[in-house]
Amino acid sequence: MSENGPLGAAEKVLSSAHRHGHGLREVNEKLADLVSSLRDQKERLARYSPAGAPPASGGPAEAPPGTGAPARPLGAELALAREAMELARREHEEIRERLAEIQEANRRLCEEYAALQDQNSDLVNLYVAVQRLYGAADRADVLAAIQEIVANLVGSEELAVFELSGDGNRLVPAHAFGVEPPDPREIAVGSGTVGRVAAEGVAFVADEADAAARPDPPHLTACIPLELGGRVRGALAIYGLLGHKSSLGSLDRELLALLQKHAARALRASALGERTEAGLGEGAWSG
Amino acid sequence: MNDQPESLNGFAAGAPGGSKPGAAGARRKILIVDDSETVLLVERAFLSRSYDVVTARNGQEGVDKAVAERPDLILMDVVMPRLNGFDAVSRLRSHPATKRIPVIMVTTRGELDNVESGYRSGCNDYLTKPFHGPELLAKVKGCLGE
Repeated sequence: MSENGPLGAAEKVLSSAHRHGHGLREVNEKLADLVSSLRDQKERLARYSPAGAPPASGGPAEAPPGTGAPARPLGAELALAREAMELARREHEEIRERLAEIQEANRRLCEEYAALQDQNSDLVNLYVAVQRLYGAADRADVLAAIQEIVANLVGSEELAVFELSGDGNRLVPAHAFGVEPPDPREIAVGSGTVGRVAAEGVAFVADEADAAARPDPPHLTACIPLELGGRVRGALAIYGLLGHKSSLGSLDRELLALLQKHAARALRASALGERTEAGLGEGAWSG
Repeated sequence: MNDQPESLNGFAAGAPGGSKPGAAGARRKILIVDDSETVLLVERAFLSRSYDVVTARNGQEGVDKAVAERPDLILMDVVMPRLNGFDAVSRLRSHPATKRIPVIMVTTRGELDNVESGYRSGCNDYLTKPFHGPELLAKVKGCLGE
């Protein structure tokens, strides 16, 4: 076959076509590889899309029925559930701590409220005691007030009020309640517990006294000096307490301190009032 | 008691608004029967913020005032002139107008036989003197169902 004849030309065309065909086949194959690679890439991208995460194990979780949402992998569901549980546990712990704080605050408030109620109660008793002493119309009324305060607020129905005699050497009974005769008797100042209280001006309370210093008389629970103008003018002796009362408390001591400072003044005020009204002579509570 | 300073009324009452109003929104009424001015002052001080308070100075006056005033509760002393607290409660229990009024005995007589006598006479509760304000209020509220 001649290279320049029509056959030669055809062979050239065929050869050229063959070369082009081969090139096209190669291009086609490369395109097929590219398309395959793109499909793989697309699938990987689909798996890593925001709607899901790569599965740790197993396949993807089923999408909620009817939502049409992409399936969520089980591992992601588990991680989310764990995170939610941890959050709930922390919130629960915080609530428990807050509740404990509130309970503690509530307990403190209850204690403070109870203490305030007790304090209020004590103040009422002290207020009423003062009102009774200074609201009394006369000497007998003041003595009755002292008796009522001791009986109803302190808790003793055995008591005696003594006045200092004019010469200052004796304690003379002015009023008694629940004390069997011949008591109360006149007492020399300095003699026995009541006499010593009058001499020294220091209150005696059996609960506070030295165990070796037994009261005289032995059933004396407390004895206070009745003071006026810095001087002892008498004494109040309290013997047995009511059966259901075992000892003197803090309020009782406050009431005794109040009587120590104010009973003599109230008696003097009543004496002055009576003297003014009746023109009687001075007694132990005047001057 | 009527000349008591206003400042003392309710001075020591418990929690504000502690009284549950009775019929027609009226405050409940408490009758205090005691011959001691000191006790009347103390009890009134604790109660008057939450309750209307009326007083009587002996058992007979207490019975008469209970019939006339129809209180919601009575605080009754035991040792009193004219009529003691036990007998007064017995009379209250036999009177149709007062037989259902709760009564708290408030007394220095804390011995068991006295407590028993109190309950036999018909009292609902018993409180010994001296008492704490909160203790009195608790008994009162308990008897009034508050």
